[in-house]
Amino acid sequence: MKSRDANSLQKVWAWWLVGFMCYIPANVYPMLQTRTLFQNDQSTIIGGAVELAQYGSWGIAFIILLASVAIPLAKFWAVAYLALSVRRPGAGFNNSRHLMYEIVEYIGRWSMIDIFVVAILSSLVQLNTLANINPGPASMFFALSVIFTMLSAQAFDSRLIWDGQAKDKGSA
Amino acid sequence: MSDTPPNVSMKPARKLFLSGASVVWIIPLLALVAALAVAWNNYNSRGPEIYVTFEKGAGIKAGETELRYRDVTVGRVEEVGFTEDLSKVVATIRVDKDVAPFIDRSAAFWVVQPEVSARGITGLSTVLSGVYIEGSWSEKEGEFANTFSGSDAAPLIRPGQSGLQVAFRTVGNGQLTDNAPIFYRGIEVGRMGKAEIAPRGNFAIAEALIFENYRNLVNGSTRFWDTSGFSLSIGPTGAEIDFQSIATLVGGGVTFDTFVSGGDRVQDGTVFEIYPSREEARNSVFNASEVDPLKLSVVFDDNVSGLAVGAPVELSGLNIGEVESLSGIVDYDVFGDNRVRLNVTLSIQPARLGLPGEVSAATALEFLEDRVITGLRARLASASLLTGGLKVELVTVDDAPPARLEATDDRLPVLPTTENETSDASATVEGVFSRINNLPIEELLNSAIGLMNSAQTLIGSDDLQQTPRDVRTLINEVTGLVSSDSVQNIPVSLNATLQRVETLVATLEQEQMAARLLTAVDSVSAAADAFSTSTEGVPELVTEIRAVAAKAEELELQQLVDELTELTRSADQVIGTPDAVALPGSLKDALDELNYTLQELREGGAIENVNRTLASAQNAADNIAVSAQDLPRIVTRLSTLFDQAGRTIEGYNRGDQISRTTEETLRDIQKAADALTSLARTIERNPNSLLLGR
Repeated sequence: MKSRDANSLQKVWAWWLVGFMCYIPANVYPMLQTRTLFQNDQSTIIGGAVELAQYGSWGIAFIILLASVAIPLAKFWAVAYLALSVRRPGAGFNNSRHLMYEIVEYIGRWSMIDIFVVAILSSLVQLNTLANINPGPASMFFALSVIFTMLSAQAFDSRLIWDGQAKDKGSA
Repeated sequence: MSDTPPNVSMKPARKLFLSGASVVWIIPLLALVAALAVAWNNYNSRGPEIYVTFEKGAGIKAGETELRYRDVTVGRVEEVGFTEDLSKVVATIRVDKDVAPFIDRSAAFWVVQPEVSARGITGLSTVLSGVYIEGSWSEKEGEFANTFSGSDAAPLIRPGQSGLQVAFRTVGNGQLTDNAPIFYRGIEVGRMGKAEIAPRGNFAIAEALIFENYRNLVNGSTRFWDTSGFSLSIGPTGAEIDFQSIATLVGGGVTFDTFVSGGDRVQDGTVFEIYPSREEARNSVFNASEVDPLKLSVVFDDNVSGLAVGAPVELSGLNIGEVESLSGIVDYDVFGDNRVRLNVTLSIQPARLGLPGEVSAATALEFLEDRVITGLRARLASASLLTGGLKVELVTVDDAPPARLEATDDRLPVLPTTENETSDASATVEGVFSRINNLPIEELLNSAIGLMNSAQTLIGSDDLQQTPRDVRTLINEVTGLVSSDSVQNIPVSLNATLQRVETLVATLEQEQMAARLLTAVDSVSAAADAFSTSTEGVPELVTEIRAVAAKAEELELQQLVDELTELTRSADQVIGTPDAVALPGSLKDALDELNYTLQELREGGAIENVNRTLASAQNAADNIAVSAQDLPRIVTRLSTLFDQAGRTIEGYNRGDQISRTTEETLRDIQKAADALTSLARTIERNPNSLLLGR
């Protein structure tokens, strides 16, 4: 048995902060650098998705937006919500909050799929002068962001949810 | 044993603010510090922005197009926009901090694009990477400036580059090509810039740079000429094509040489003329005149076409200048009518006159003034028969009306004129051409074609094809006939025959046979008379007759008759041979041959013989005719004699033998007479036809 980690929330917030800091350049800087014979293309995550949407690939654009924007943002929001909610007693919905925590922790590793795609593309498409795909600076920040959010989620002690419930019952 | 557990020191769960802080917080702090450091570093290392304006965007892209200095990237275009009035493109370039101090007013910027020209391909790398902006500035730090005007092409003289900066000027039909290389003995020693038309439009000018290493090659007496294109000359050594290189053939080029030594050192900014060819450049050194040309005006009464600006002005065949301008002139006061006259301005180079002493327009004018007083006049002459081009000739006319070269202040001196020499040549040539024009060449050709066709048909016909063979055969036959022994022998035979005839006739004459016969017959007649009067003397008579007959036999009549017969036969033979029959026809065609033969005959004297012979034959024939005329009488008399003799003999039965002999004798005589008649006829008829072929 492991005792409660007193600094759990502090760790959560610390990792969360670093993850969020990394998430900003991950969206500002280009994710992929595509260099073909005649043009040099750099696209950010959102820019790439918009471009895909303009070409008509709504499905892929939607998936990219979902996996790279919506889910990380949701994670930030979810972790922040959980960390704040345990400080406020009587929030209720303990079951649903626990489920949210499970989902966040489960889904966190899948955010690395973006990095995975970039890594595969840049290792496959290395045709020297003809065509070249290199990961942009954003990919590193994105990976860091995912890692830090995962750490943040893991630092969260889910028992705190239920501690709040115990306190509620104790006080009542 | 139960001891109470030792008291565990209980501390409050919450400590002080910082002591309770987790170590994990270091990570975001570090991240923050790192981010700030990177940001600061980034900002701090950022150079200043400069603004370069271009005529066209030319492929400049924001964020991609680089600024390079000596092919090293020292900046990047951050933004491409327009000036306020959209007249130009402005590229905002962020330059590196360390080169920024060098970018001062003298900096030049231009766009490097791929360029394919006759001299090669430049900027090939930009095909793939896109254009970049090349900058050039001096190596000394200067006052920073941030607004520049860029160009589309590299400047000829880059800031900080050293070399001899000169300018080229063309007049006439010289040619300047932008960025053409300057060669010296085949090596590029400089480069020409963009050629421009001078403000007044009278020449083209281009700046040029002789590289620093070669500046000593150029001095004041250096002449430049154009080597672009190629020159074709056809001379006694054959055709020559001359060009410097393929590159200059297409892209143009300039080369130079210093033909004479002792030129001054050249300063930057010297203007050189570009001559069209090496020869002209070379000539210009020796014809160089430091003085202004002498301008003269000439007014020609005839407004003749063909004179052009630049036409030569010749004095005794020496080119001393050229026609500078042409115009019409109408001046009632001077000329007395309103006709348009041709006013020509001549530009005469004083140096070419070769005057001693000072060479100037004034001395040249003095010289010409003197010459005009002694009869020097200007006239138009044909320079080229083919083109009809004219030139101005200065000639000395012996009996020219007095005139002066009048120099006034406000007008050019006017050179008097004399009769032009243009009409002769051109009129003659024109006449020749019009005659040629008027020739009925069409009809001639048609007739010729018709003739050719007929000839072809004729030649192609079988008959004509056979003609040569026939002719050859005919000639062969004629030759054979002429050369045949019989023909060759004709003259000989004739000669022989005629000689015989002559002999015969001579014999006949000599013998006077007819007379003798007559006498004989008379005697016989007398004898017969006597016989008839007295019959008793018959045996004596018979004896006498026998003697007469014997005598008659002895008269060689037989031989004469034989000879005559033979003569006739041979004549007949000659006449009757097929050769002789065919002779007239053949002889007609082979007349020349025969004439030649006759000539030979004449030369050989034969013809005289023949003539003589013929004359003799005529005589003979005449005699024979005369004789022959007597023959009937003889015959009649013989006949009478015979009758009388017959009657007499019938009276006497004993005279059988005698009468037989007499009969024989008489028959012989008759035969002889017949033969003579025949001979006479033949000879009368034939000599001419025998000899003349008619």
